[in-house]
Amino acid sequence: MRNLRKIAALAMATALAAVGLAACGDSGGGGGGKEGGEVAGTVTSFPDYLDPQLSYTLEGWEGINNVYIPLLTYQHGNGEESTKVVPGLAESMPDISPDGLTYTFTLRKGMKYSDGTPIKASDFPYAIQRLFKLDSGGAPFYEAIAGATDYADGKADSISGIQADDQTGKIVVQLEHSSGTFLNEVALMFAAPVPQSTPLDKDQTSTPPPASGTFMISNSDPPNSYTLEKNPQFKTVQDAGASDLPEAHVDKVTVTQNKNQSAQAQAIEQNQSDFMVDPPPADLLPDIQNTYSDRFRFQESINTYYFWLNNTKPPFDNVQVRQAVNYAIDPAALNRIFGGRLHPSQAILPPGMPGYEESNLYPGPDLEKAKALIAQAHPSDMDITVWTDDEPDRKRIGAYYQDVLNSLGFQTTLKIIGGDVYFTTIGNLSTPDLDTGFADWFQDYPHPNDFFGILLAGESIHPTNNQNFSQTDIPDLNKQISDLDTKQLTDPGVEDGYAALDKSFMEQAVWAPYGNEKFTTFTSDRVAFDDVLFSLVFNLDYSSFQLTD
Amino acid sequence: MEGMGRFIIRRLVGMAAVLFVISILVFLIFNVIPNSDPAQRIGGKNANPELIARINEDWGFNDPLPQQYVSTMKKVFTGDLVSYQNQRNVSDQIEKGIPVTFSLCIGAGIIWLLLGIVFGYLSAVKAGQATDRSLTILALIGISLPVFWLGLVLQYYIGNKLGLFPIGDYVKFTEDPLQWVNHLILPWFTLAVLFIGFYSRVLRSNMLDVMDEDYVRTARAKGLSERQVRLKHVLRNSLIPVITLFGLDFGAVIGGGAILTETVYNLPGVGQYAGQSVASLDLPPLIGITMFGAFFIVFFNTIVDIVYAYLDPRIRLGAQAA
Amino acid sequence: MPPAGAMPTGEPPLPVGDDVEMIEGRSPWYLAYIRLRRNKVALAFGALFIVIVLFCLAAPLWSHLVAHTGPNQNHLTEKIDIGGKETFVVAPNGIPIGPGLHAKFLLGADDNGRDVMVRLMYGGRTSIYIGVMAAFITTFFAVAIGLIAGYYRGWTDSVLSRVLDVIWAFPVLLLGIALGTALSVGGLKIGPLEIAGNSLWIPIIIIGFVYVPYMARPIRGEVLALREKEFVEAAIAQGKGPIRVMFSELLPNLISTIIVFFTLNIANNMLLEAALSFLGAGVRPPNSSWGTMIEEGSDRIVTAPHLTLVPVLMIVLTVLALNVFGDGLRDALNPKAKIRMEH
Repeated sequence: MRNLRKIAALAMATALAAVGLAACGDSGGGGGGKEGGEVAGTVTSFPDYLDPQLSYTLEGWEGINNVYIPLLTYQHGNGEESTKVVPGLAESMPDISPDGLTYTFTLRKGMKYSDGTPIKASDFPYAIQRLFKLDSGGAPFYEAIAGATDYADGKADSISGIQADDQTGKIVVQLEHSSGTFLNEVALMFAAPVPQSTPLDKDQTSTPPPASGTFMISNSDPPNSYTLEKNPQFKTVQDAGASDLPEAHVDKVTVTQNKNQSAQAQAIEQNQSDFMVDPPPADLLPDIQNTYSDRFRFQESINTYYFWLNNTKPPFDNVQVRQAVNYAIDPAALNRIFGGRLHPSQAILPPGMPGYEESNLYPGPDLEKAKALIAQAHPSDMDITVWTDDEPDRKRIGAYYQDVLNSLGFQTTLKIIGGDVYFTTIGNLSTPDLDTGFADWFQDYPHPNDFFGILLAGESIHPTNNQNFSQTDIPDLNKQISDLDTKQLTDPGVEDGYAALDKSFMEQAVWAPYGNEKFTTFTSDRVAFDDVLFSLVFNLDYSSFQLTD
Repeated sequence: MEGMGRFIIRRLVGMAAVLFVISILVFLIFNVIPNSDPAQRIGGKNANPELIARINEDWGFNDPLPQQYVSTMKKVFTGDLVSYQNQRNVSDQIEKGIPVTFSLCIGAGIIWLLLGIVFGYLSAVKAGQATDRSLTILALIGISLPVFWLGLVLQYYIGNKLGLFPIGDYVKFTEDPLQWVNHLILPWFTLAVLFIGFYSRVLRSNMLDVMDEDYVRTARAKGLSERQVRLKHVLRNSLIPVITLFGLDFGAVIGGGAILTETVYNLPGVGQYAGQSVASLDLPPLIGITMFGAFFIVFFNTIVDIVYAYLDPRIRLGAQAA
Repeated sequence: MPPAGAMPTGEPPLPVGDDVEMIEGRSPWYLAYIRLRRNKVALAFGALFIVIVLFCLAAPLWSHLVAHTGPNQNHLTEKIDIGGKETFVVAPNGIPIGPGLHAKFLLGADDNGRDVMVRLMYGGRTSIYIGVMAAFITTFFAVAIGLIAGYYRGWTDSVLSRVLDVIWAFPVLLLGIALGTALSVGGLKIGPLEIAGNSLWIPIIIIGFVYVPYMARPIRGEVLALREKEFVEAAIAQGKGPIRVMFSELLPNLISTIIVFFTLNIANNMLLEAALSFLGAGVRPPNSSWGTMIEEGSDRIVTAPHLTLVPVLMIVLTVLALNVFGDGLRDALNPKAKIRMEH
């Protein structure tokens, strides 16, 4: 997924106004703080959606992951702990048939949504149906379910591959091929059950569906603010045995949009605000690091920043030209634009992702080598359009990239598109002059297929809402992707297989990646800082907020 | 006062005519001129073919131009404009933003009017001397400072470093009048600085002209003290153009001119709404806000004309419109 | 001519030599020139403006000879020698160097490691160019409308005045932003006229358009007043057509007003350009202007204040210079002038 920051600073500091300890199991520690109270935070761009079947940004998932619980969920914890899939609304991890095609879940008994409606097994297929009816960006994750594409195309009234029995709570899912990522996908927001009174094909951001998590959305006022309050029916979920779902400590969390990122950070400095979803701007970072080090820290995040190169037309249809670009760009230079928070890397997978290996294919920057490669390739078209969006750091990245391409002899035109519509613009294949441009990708879940399958597989090229911006379609590598996808990560050789795949793609220079950005955490002093949890999937864990005594 | 009545009616008719022409221009500018598909643009980032077809029907993009115009305007006036990005009704959002924008503009307006008059008066009275020169230079600097930059600087140095005032956000007057003021002080001054500069120069210029007029010389000859002359005759007569200017500027500021100030200080007014819509190229709100803004400008324009005519009989009796 | 020295009877000698010039009538232009010359302050600020323009025009010279870099070249990882120490142009934490006495990066660097001095000069060219071109557009239309409305009066005047009202009534900033963003994507296409989305002409046209009423109204007012004068009526009675009357009788008397407004208008245009560029609706990359520089630097008010201070200072100086000089012009051309631009 992507991050919708508007006036983002270079640093991706996530203000953690974390409070207290996030309950659940293992994390131990903390517990210093009182129960109750309210916290207020800010975000630079209101979430794209608050509708669980539609939301596909960090801002959205951070807000709703404690509101809508899928059958499975991610463990609440810091760092790697947070990437473990554990039971959510389902009693336990599913039974998987030996051929890997049938998953059987059992819904916990006696649970209710925040409005008192009972949570039913058939709510799960209903949610999946919504994904297709809403044309959600997350729908492709579930196309492997038998009958899903028929339903999406309107050929069927329901998804034949999901059988749900409201009496017994059993949910049986048939896949068309085995998948190493299905469990992860069930744990995404997209698959969170909602009551069947929720309109099937209308975005519910302004009127969010009733909640199953510890918080419910008590007020939604896009794009200004939304409010979370404790869900009175959450007890029913806890009583049904969901021990991996922590209860929130504070009574209320408000998130307000503020386009002025500098003001957001200053408000936290002054304790007028408790947390911010986005990083403090680079301008204030040195100040914050020095003065507020007791409530500020850096965080790891799983993401890759890269330039996509249109593999299908000149000049970037030529591998030598693409390699030239990889030789020419300088991750260390780009690191400046990120305020020093970039981990320079020219690999596709980021550190922290299984299969990551440090890459040394393009030592450099080496402008001479790059120019030599281009001279060899002698591309017919040196007239290119470079795309980026209008957030300040993206514009700077675009300016740097344009300068590099100019020095390689290209005639460049820089096109800057509004952040809100950038990805849909470059993801629309009918947009003219899609040569190269900025992109980033934050993991949806900790599995390499989230990168390869979605961003680099031939079959993932869509005419609209495309994520494979390079339009990469290499039959050999496509096969490797689907093969590896059918296996489990824990199977022998799979991780190495992904590492090799990364290397193969980079030898083909399908992208020009340059690094992985580190986050930060920054809170007011009202909040118990050490207890704030930061998930690698959902970012800030609002259920871990706790006020200091 | 029959002349007055007819004058008012004439001006109101003129106002309606102007709004009508503006509505046509708004329609052309937003829907026709830009070189892209209007349904696609209105549909926003998640426009799928069904939505686009629906928009085409709703807005009549497949119909001939005049009919398109009618459907667009019908939406505006029946409060039926809805943003496809977030399903919010545009009129509702504008309504919510009005108290905030009004709070900002009225407060700033009072400040800039008062200070503008004071500085302009001083400047005129001490024309050519050091006071005048420095005030003029200050005024010109004030005019040329970019509002947004000033806002950011004040916010950081006075709001944060000195901690004198809150950094931003809006507190409703009904909730806490004191905080309402506290949160608005920095925005008021940021917005007012530009106008203080203008107004002091305009008043200065007017006063200098008036001071040469015959009736002023007569007043002096009659034996009135210089001060009385200044206040009773010069200032009063110089103020009229200033007040009319104020009416126009106030209308313009309410009509979306406060975008930058509202964005910097995160005040959820009409200006900020406009800024958000622009950033995401969300057309229905832009159309609604532009009509809203135009209405206020024309409205104040008309009020100003009427008041001016009331004060100056020559105009209302004259053959030409002011 | 009688021989010098010869004395015609009964009459005083004709003045000869230098003295003749002393009683020649002086044209109002000459008088204005003298008055202006006496206004040292106005002259100084006028010179300031010229200096600023020359400064910006010298951009290529500075760029090639002194700074050895173009305005868009990034120097993110380079180092320069400051006081004997090798310093990064942009520190690893992203903070660029500030102004100092070194030929390269005299005014410091920006976030992309670009030379602020060079960008300032090139950006100034854009800002001034936009200001002046937009002023031409405004003047052309304002004079045309003012002349026609004032000359024909009646119906024509009513309609044109309403047109001015309409333009005046448009929320300027909103209009500018909306047009600027909408047009930047696909460009402008009206019949045969096609302008690219990132052409400078888009902000120029928008800015020029916006200020037409501010100039047209006073001009119309003057034309109305002039219209009543005898020499105009005489010209019309002589059978001169409207165009000739406008050009030969009316326009010459408007020149002083036009000149003053033109000067002041440039200043307003530059301010509006800065505002539009800040909002992303004015100058678009790869072009840069003082407005875009302010926008880019707004993220670094604390750690690199020079990034905003420098362009803001240039705008303030230029606007100041134009205003003071314009005021001086006004005073010189018409010491009792009642003309005043509403803004």
